[in-house]
Amino acid sequence: MSPLWRDEVAIYLAPRKVALARRPRGLKARVSAATEVAVAGGGAGDCGPALARLAELLLEPTWQDAAARVVIADPWARYCIVPPTATPLDAEGRRAQARYVLEDAYGEGVSEWNVVLEDAPPGRISVACAMAEGLESALIAALSPARLKLVSMQPQLVVAFNAWRRRLPRDDAWFIALEDGWLSAVHLADGAWDRIHAARLSGEPRVELERLQAFGSLTRAAGCVGRMFVEAPPWMRERAKRTGVGLEWLEAEDAGDAQAHELALLMRANA
Amino acid sequence: MKRPRSVQLDFAAPVRRSSAAGLLLCLAGIAAATAVGVEFRSALAERARLDGAVEAIADHRRSPVETAGRAAAANEFAKMSRELNIPWTKLLAELEAASNDMTSQVSLLHIEPDADKHLVRITAEVRSLPDALAYLERLQRSPVLRYPMLESHERRKDDPEHAVQIKIAAEWRS
Repeated sequence: MSPLWRDEVAIYLAPRKVALARRPRGLKARVSAATEVAVAGGGAGDCGPALARLAELLLEPTWQDAAARVVIADPWARYCIVPPTATPLDAEGRRAQARYVLEDAYGEGVSEWNVVLEDAPPGRISVACAMAEGLESALIAALSPARLKLVSMQPQLVVAFNAWRRRLPRDDAWFIALEDGWLSAVHLADGAWDRIHAARLSGEPRVELERLQAFGSLTRAAGCVGRMFVEAPPWMRERAKRTGVGLEWLEAEDAGDAQAHELALLMRANA
Repeated sequence: MKRPRSVQLDFAAPVRRSSAAGLLLCLAGIAAATAVGVEFRSALAERARLDGAVEAIADHRRSPVETAGRAAAANEFAKMSRELNIPWTKLLAELEAASNDMTSQVSLLHIEPDADKHLVRITAEVRSLPDALAYLERLQRSPVLRYPMLESHERRKDDPEHAVQIKIAAEWRS
């Protein structure tokens, strides 16, 4: 197999779920194998059980010897909006500023986390994301025995937004990504993120919808009708649509049942 | 309608993806390079074809038989020219005069010219070796010859008078 054009294994890593999909190299995107398993004893505070389950799955030759693109569930990511500075900063300065904003929002718990910053033009706000310091190294340690090379590691909200952004308006709209037990929402202004909210959800769909409605009322309180676009796995979408009012649910024409919803988003974001 | 810009946040590969314009530019570059390559290849083929045609015409003009014939004729002409340039009259007159000067003590047996080297080889018989040296000195004074040298001398044992046969080589002056 050419090291420059290898098969890809897409991996979704969440506190209670691990999903994999193998995509053979070629011009046409297709899935040759897919699986989705539950993680026993997993939680937002500990990625160990999910990584252990992933390592078990990777013992199968189906998932070995490829490039790995990993989507990390949002409970293990923290986001913030980094405002522009009066004086231009170099890359290290901007990262330090992002770390300061993250610590201000989430406390000192994130001070040692890895931070990546969006490469925004000078004078524009940019998005920063942090993940636990040991997550990437633990992930690489789990992938290495299966000869999987980590080529991408993105948080789910970014993947979901990039997958749907062509269906979103540029101004005054909310993009909400729902996943098992977690809600992430970004507000769009002038084509960019200007506000981010994240919340742990209860297992009760009704409560989750009330939270969504609360977001809607937040935008309406500002004097304009903000549209709310919701991205969610099919099982959550079906349950929530029965009661949701004023929400625009994002659904793909081709559902792509062969792989997990989160990995289908990754494929669409890279298309 | 313009859409929100994509967000690029990647912990493993924090690099920008190529834009559609960049991709198009890349494809255009590849297409242009391919076109230049094809054009260059056809130009090379055309040049090779023309070289072949020129070579064929040149070959046709100088066929091997004709060339060999001409060369042989040229050699023959040069040889004849060299032989015609030998000053036979002066040479023979001078050699005759030298023999007369020696009061019939020298008998000329053979004269062989070498036109390529401007050399004449003289074979003669004398009664004794001093006569041979006297003949050589006479030839050295000749205005027609230069550098006369005694190449060999041999006493004829089969001759009852034991005459000495000498061979002298000398250049002639043009």
